[in-house]
Amino acid sequence: MAEHMDERELERTLAQIGRGLPPPSRDLWPLVRARIASGRKRPWWPSVGLPRFALAPALVTLLVLAVAAIGLTTNLVADAERILGLRGVQIFKVPETPTPPPSTQASPVLFTGTRALSVADASKIAGFVVQAPAALGDPDAIYVDASPTRVTLVFSSRPGIPPAAQIGVSALVVEIRGAVDQQLMGKAIGPGTTLEPVEVSGAPGFWLAGSPHLFFLRDANGVPQMETLRLAENTLLWERGGVTYRLEAQVTRDEAIRIASSFR
Amino acid sequence: MREPLGGTVVRRMRPDSVEGRPSEDTDLVERAQRGDQDAYGELVRRYQALATRTAYVITGTAADAEDAAQEGFTKAYFALDRFRTGAPFRPWLLRIVANEAKNRRKAAGRRPTVDLSVAEDRPSGDTALSPEAAALAGERKESVLAALRQLREEDRLVIAYRYFFELSEAEMADALACARGTVKSRLSRALARLRELASRQVSLDG
Repeated sequence: MAEHMDERELERTLAQIGRGLPPPSRDLWPLVRARIASGRKRPWWPSVGLPRFALAPALVTLLVLAVAAIGLTTNLVADAERILGLRGVQIFKVPETPTPPPSTQASPVLFTGTRALSVADASKIAGFVVQAPAALGDPDAIYVDASPTRVTLVFSSRPGIPPAAQIGVSALVVEIRGAVDQQLMGKAIGPGTTLEPVEVSGAPGFWLAGSPHLFFLRDANGVPQMETLRLAENTLLWERGGVTYRLEAQVTRDEAIRIASSFR
Repeated sequence: MREPLGGTVVRRMRPDSVEGRPSEDTDLVERAQRGDQDAYGELVRRYQALATRTAYVITGTAADAEDAAQEGFTKAYFALDRFRTGAPFRPWLLRIVANEAKNRRKAAGRRPTVDLSVAEDRPSGDTALSPEAAALAGERKESVLAALRQLREEDRLVIAYRYFFELSEAEMADALACARGTVKSRLSRALARLRELASRQVSLDG
């Protein structure tokens, strides 16, 4: 039937079906108002209630910078979101470039969650199709975290890509699937870090390079996971099909885009 | 790759970014951001039908759709301080509601199909047709409905935004969180799949 249907008929039929969709059975506003009244506004920055006394001095330094970044009005946050346009990512500008801590080793902080056996196995655990950059070969390790679902691919040593000082490996890929209104990761960049909009196989992305920037992940409630707070170097961010990708590697912008374009 | 329908569909799509009463929306959003709940209530009442129907396209059940719409409005309220002043409210809301609906369907573990049977029984508002034409229209609707049920959620949503709810191209891009240029290709591909599935349905029936 439909193959014989001309375009106008198809449009008319679709419009007819659309008109038949059920409206709400009642006025939703009283119900929404009740939910709002019983809800608590989610803090967008967890400066209240943080166990600051337990933080290492280096972390405190980072936190101070972060809090400075978040001298942030909500307008600034809105601007950051508008500038980025990437699902779940917020970038804050800070007045000075963070100083990198001395560690050069990959630490367990980077790699948490369930160890997956393969990319296919990670897809099963994560519940979405995990992609890996063909340009880097098979990952040396894959970890899957829950809430929000996050997959980390580790490429420990690759020819031509020196291990990054902050992570101790050649490349790190993080893939996160989250809701549109969910905050998944944050970045604080100082004046020494450049932020450049780029395109990755037609998908919108951003390239962060120059001085290291502050990086942290958020939990399912949008609260930053302090154990993930660290400095990061050259990073490519992009979003496709509801998944936000992050590639961290000491390569040039064009090389990063080439690697990102090889995700399969 | 051939893109059936693409050119004509895109030409007819409204390129403007807003519809309805955007300036009133902006005013209501600003008032709501300042804590005026009545203003937010007006936004809810203005878009509750659209939100519920959007959720229904994903969940396929009226109860889940209403719940997703309520939760979407609630989350949108709490996210108002992150809403960019002057941006269109409607597609932003739809993104949140659609996401709530997807979460519900996923949590329920349903197959990725949706029952649109409710739509079959509701009056269409068409003008009176001859018995033959009515039968033909009914047959068309059956095959399209059957195809819609089998479409992937993302395809069904892009078709719904365009043909059910008549969103503009810019609004669709906002609601689907993709570039404006991507909307056309996604719609073309979704329509091609719809036609393909509808034709298979005919083969099965025949």
